[in-house]
Amino acid sequence: MDRSYKDLLKLRRFPHTWCPGCGIGAVLKNVAMAVKELGWSDKNTVAVSGIGCSGRMSGYMNLDAVHTPHGRVLTSAETIKTIRPDLNVIVLSGDGDLTSIGGNHLLHTSRRNPDITVFCNDNEIYGLTGGQAGPTTPRGTKTITSPRGEPYSPLRLGHLLTQQAPYFYARTTVYHLNHFKKCIHEALVWKGFSFVDIVSDCIELNGRRLGFKTAHQMFKWFDERFHIVEGERDHLGENELGIARAVEEEVVPPAEKVEEKPEIPMASLKPFTLEELHRFDGTGGKPIYIAYKGKVYDLSSSPLFQGEKRMRCHIAGKDLTKDIDVAPHGEDLVFKFPAVGRLV
Amino acid sequence: MKPRLHVLWNETYCKRCLLCVEVCPVQVLSLERNEITEKEGCIRCYQCERYCPDIAIEVMDEKGKE
Ligand SMILES: Cc1ncc(C[n+]2csc(CCOP(=O)(O)OP(=O)(O)O)c2C)c(N)n1
Ligand code: SF4
Ligand code: SF4
Ligand code: SF4
Repeated sequence: MDRSYKDLLKLRRFPHTWCPGCGIGAVLKNVAMAVKELGWSDKNTVAVSGIGCSGRMSGYMNLDAVHTPHGRVLTSAETIKTIRPDLNVIVLSGDGDLTSIGGNHLLHTSRRNPDITVFCNDNEIYGLTGGQAGPTTPRGTKTITSPRGEPYSPLRLGHLLTQQAPYFYARTTVYHLNHFKKCIHEALVWKGFSFVDIVSDCIELNGRRLGFKTAHQMFKWFDERFHIVEGERDHLGENELGIARAVEEEVVPPAEKVEEKPEIPMASLKPFTLEELHRFDGTGGKPIYIAYKGKVYDLSSSPLFQGEKRMRCHIAGKDLTKDIDVAPHGEDLVFKFPAVGRLV
Repeated sequence: MKPRLHVLWNETYCKRCLLCVEVCPVQVLSLERNEITEKEGCIRCYQCERYCPDIAIEVMDEKGKE
């Protein structure tokens, strides 16, 4: 049994602060194991937490750790990753912190897809503050703020975080240990934003009210509620545990239409002298002609010449070869117009 | 760390949550007088150690191995 993951934990601060049987201890331990297995260390890895019982996790990691204001864990993590892209950034926080007060950041951080890994201890309750209902509390659950049962449907994180590729969303529980470990590992090695929704127990302030006496009884309840689905998935159903991921859809730009203008042989064009050309300056309803590199073009349809003899520095009825060569635009502007003759 | 028959138990880390007791497939662990105790029959499956959220119980390495 490899126990080297203990190097990544501040054992001198143990026993940790959480209640007996609380799932947060399991999240901390299994994340430390996976980080150690990948060979990551305090040299290249940072842990970031928000506020809540779950938010205490980063403080037990033997890594550079940040304990951020409530709900701002993702903004801090994304900032660290932006400034120091060489670092592995892992987020350890709670469902309340990440999806309630931090919900807006969750939407937009996931949309920007920074390469950070989020471990969400999803105990379906606000633990630290005494067991209030939050956005992940299942409908009908009795809490101190919903004594007759939570009236609203919970946020479907599995839908929210998989609505646009690229994404990585895994759902697991602290009971389904092998699956849990696999999800942690896959999320850590995923390039881009990865989110592991870990259904966990708050035995003290949620479990007891629901009638469970021990953490293990809650684990059995997780086992009844959820089942593991194998293989590659785009999405996860309500009670499915698994990994849903998708890489970026490649944006294929629509093939540009190249209009091929048949090359008109010089000799077949009507000959113009400079004097003749000069007459076509748009005055008196006449068309606007200009010459460019030996050809005469009809610019009457140009909106820039309408009703004017000149368009900025270009004068109608003249050979504009020199002007156009020094103009800020290219000669393509001229080639859009029909060639009507040649300069002799 | 207090040695038991096959496991080591950390009295200060342990919070007596009973997870190890309940996950042991052969039910050799129990909480007696506020201490985790072990009776004969451990099959060294490591479940207690894997599930303990407090790193408070470890299965002893078999003598001569590892
Ligand atoms: C700005 C602000 N609002 C409210 C609080 C109170 N508060 C502290 S923790 C918490 C909820 C944490 O819930 P969750 O993230 O699920 O963590 P848990 O304690 O369940 O692990 C709240 C509302 C606060 N600390 N700061
Ligand atoms: S209150 Fe709940 S979430 Fe907080 S430490 Fe206790 S069991 Fe864990
Ligand atoms: S699982 Fe760990 S903390 Fe819980 S009773 Fe067993 S040894 Fe103690
Ligand atoms: S190793 Fe397995 S059999 Fe032995 S005490 Fe732990 S859980 Fe029980």
